[in-house]
Amino acid sequence: MRLFTHAAVGALALAAAAVCAPAEAQDWSLEKAAEPLKGAEINVVFLDRPGYRAIIQLLPEFEKKTGIKVNYEIVPYESSREKQVLNFSSNGDLTIALVDLVWIGEFAENGWIVPVEKFTSDPAVTDPKLNLDGFFPLLLDAFGSWGGKVYGLPFDNYSGLLFYNQCMLKEAGFDKPPETWQELYETYAPKLTDKAKNQFAFALQSRRGETQSADSFMRVLWPFGGSLLDKEFKSNLLSEESQAGLKFRQDLMQYMPPGIVSYDHAEAVNALAQGQVAMITEWSAFYSTLIDPATSKIVDCLAVAPEPSGPAGRLPALGGFSLAVAAQAPEKEQKASWLFIQWATSEDIARAYVEAGGVSGRKSIYEDADIKAKYKFVEPMVASWQKGVPEFRPRFPAWPAISEIVAEWGTKMMLGEVSTEQGAKEIGTRMEDILAKEGYYDGKKALLQ
Amino acid sequence: MSVEGQALAQEAARARPARRRRLEHGRWTPLFFLAPAVVTLLAIGLYPMLFALVTSFRRYNLTRAREGFPFVGFENYGRVLSDQTFWDTLLLTGRFFLTVMPIQVALGLLIALMLHRPGWGFMRSLARVSLVVPLATTYAVVGLLGNLIFNRNFGVANQFLSWFGFAPFDWLGNPSGAFAAIVIMDVWQWTPFCALIFLSGLSMVPVDIEEAARLETKSHWALLRHVQLPYLLPGLTAMLILRSADVLKLFDMIFTMTRGGPGTATELISIYIQRVGFRVFDLGAASAQAILLLLFTILLSRLYIRIFYREIQ
Repeated sequence: MRLFTHAAVGALALAAAAVCAPAEAQDWSLEKAAEPLKGAEINVVFLDRPGYRAIIQLLPEFEKKTGIKVNYEIVPYESSREKQVLNFSSNGDLTIALVDLVWIGEFAENGWIVPVEKFTSDPAVTDPKLNLDGFFPLLLDAFGSWGGKVYGLPFDNYSGLLFYNQCMLKEAGFDKPPETWQELYETYAPKLTDKAKNQFAFALQSRRGETQSADSFMRVLWPFGGSLLDKEFKSNLLSEESQAGLKFRQDLMQYMPPGIVSYDHAEAVNALAQGQVAMITEWSAFYSTLIDPATSKIVDCLAVAPEPSGPAGRLPALGGFSLAVAAQAPEKEQKASWLFIQWATSEDIARAYVEAGGVSGRKSIYEDADIKAKYKFVEPMVASWQKGVPEFRPRFPAWPAISEIVAEWGTKMMLGEVSTEQGAKEIGTRMEDILAKEGYYDGKKALLQ
Repeated sequence: MSVEGQALAQEAARARPARRRRLEHGRWTPLFFLAPAVVTLLAIGLYPMLFALVTSFRRYNLTRAREGFPFVGFENYGRVLSDQTFWDTLLLTGRFFLTVMPIQVALGLLIALMLHRPGWGFMRSLARVSLVVPLATTYAVVGLLGNLIFNRNFGVANQFLSWFGFAPFDWLGNPSGAFAAIVIMDVWQWTPFCALIFLSGLSMVPVDIEEAARLETKSHWALLRHVQLPYLLPGLTAMLILRSADVLKLFDMIFTMTRGGPGTATELISIYIQRVGFRVFDLGAASAQAILLLLFTILLSRLYIRIFYREIQ
């Protein structure tokens, strides 16, 4: 009898739990979850880019709902890593890390950011509709994960796209953009370049810095089958494929504006916006600059396509930022930060975020017909995110040091001060030196990138 | 003076020491006056320097804080001294200094001599005031201005060239162009400094001596060489010391203008140190570089004083 009672009570408890669980899920609301956190202040670094301006526009809604105060400081990209590293290593006040995809290894291995499982296992602060599978897998993997663990949620998402001036293309007799890099070089470029009129077919932002290493150098490696490192983490820059890519860039330079090595994003976007060049490959985030009559002369002529493909397929540049909870924050602020990150990357506000100029990493929003119709960049971008290389730039902690080397020698190659082989050799020895010190060659460290 | 008056005066004389006593300071009073300045100097001058000195003997990488910051003796110095890039950038900095300094001294002297001539009172004061403008401009802003001036498509520099029928030149995208551009901006900013120092030197020449010399000779050169130059040398020494220190730590203007590029065409030593310190976060090596640079600056200053400095008799 007693056994029966026990069993019955057990069964009842189970049933109650089963009934309660969904009830809890339905009950969850941001307001309720934030109640014990009211008055908390969270601190984050933002950039002066469309995705951040969009979330700043939506912030009052979050603060009103939760009573959590979000303090943000806008810094230039160039000093954003420096600022955060100094803050984290001196136990500063940042409660959220803004993680560029190439910093994820460094931030995670130093223990500066907290894996999301710490929060997802706590139903009180985790939205049952969080739905990690709703992000594009490539983005969640590349921007937010390291060593098999998720740390950050994709927030400011980019794909490299081909922005082009369809009026110029039409005038030159083309009714569609180039499919491949080879086609761009052989067929399109000569017809679209008129040096006397100061008009050029293409601009590849190549200023020394991350722009050179990420946007220019790496962009020509992958589509041609090359890569920075081989499987053993030795330099792969002297391989036939990598060299083909780097040589291609040298050849293409004759169709670019002179002084292309001094072009940053702003200059390349502006050259297209002012009608000086016909095509650029740039981050999706610059769409809003190019479509704004205040900053662009080609609003009606602007068209967007996926980046051209190379012999190895279409492997466009991949970049973006995730938001992760900073380990240095006190418990209460960590929870408040998690609520903010969840909200900022949620499916619920994805539409408002996109309409305010952001690029969401959620799949569902881009299935809406009106969003597809209104934003020309959506289809090529979604296509680019289907397949790609998360390690487009290696994401290990050594990348910033390697990026400096690539930037220096990559620019020298473009200037013709060294040949592509010499430059590759110089980068290779210096890079392997760094990787050896990191302990990748003596088995001390797993070959993660 | 009446008797009454004398009595009053005596009384006043007696009262004076008493009042003086009341105003007398305790032993520590000067300390309180000096303390704020000394503490501030210690905090923002000496402490960071000592910290850098200690850091230069440690393996100190912020992005590998979990490995600790052990003392490694002279390892950082060894690495820096055998680092080819360090020497390359130091050499480039030397080249930069040797390019800008003669131009600034020559132009500065010319301006000073022109302003020293009598007449044109209002215009002279106006010129003196306008000389301060470049000096008062923040380095970073000078760099941003340079970026606009030397822009290939709409910059003033190319506009100027086009008046003489030259094709637009790609200043910032070309190694020698970029170097020329930072030289021009530095000359623009610092020539007035030289001019003002020379001007103050010229105004120290006693008027009677200068007038007597003018009666003796009509040659401006002789006047400059034998009468004015001795008064200019102390200023020149100060100028050399200040400008060497300044060029060795010149960072903001170049960073905002070219970021050290294209390639390494404008990568002066300070840009490189920043790269090592705040991109790679190898603060040990960066501190060693900075300390070496400090030693180098002190050495140069001693050298200048020995060669150029003369007391005016």
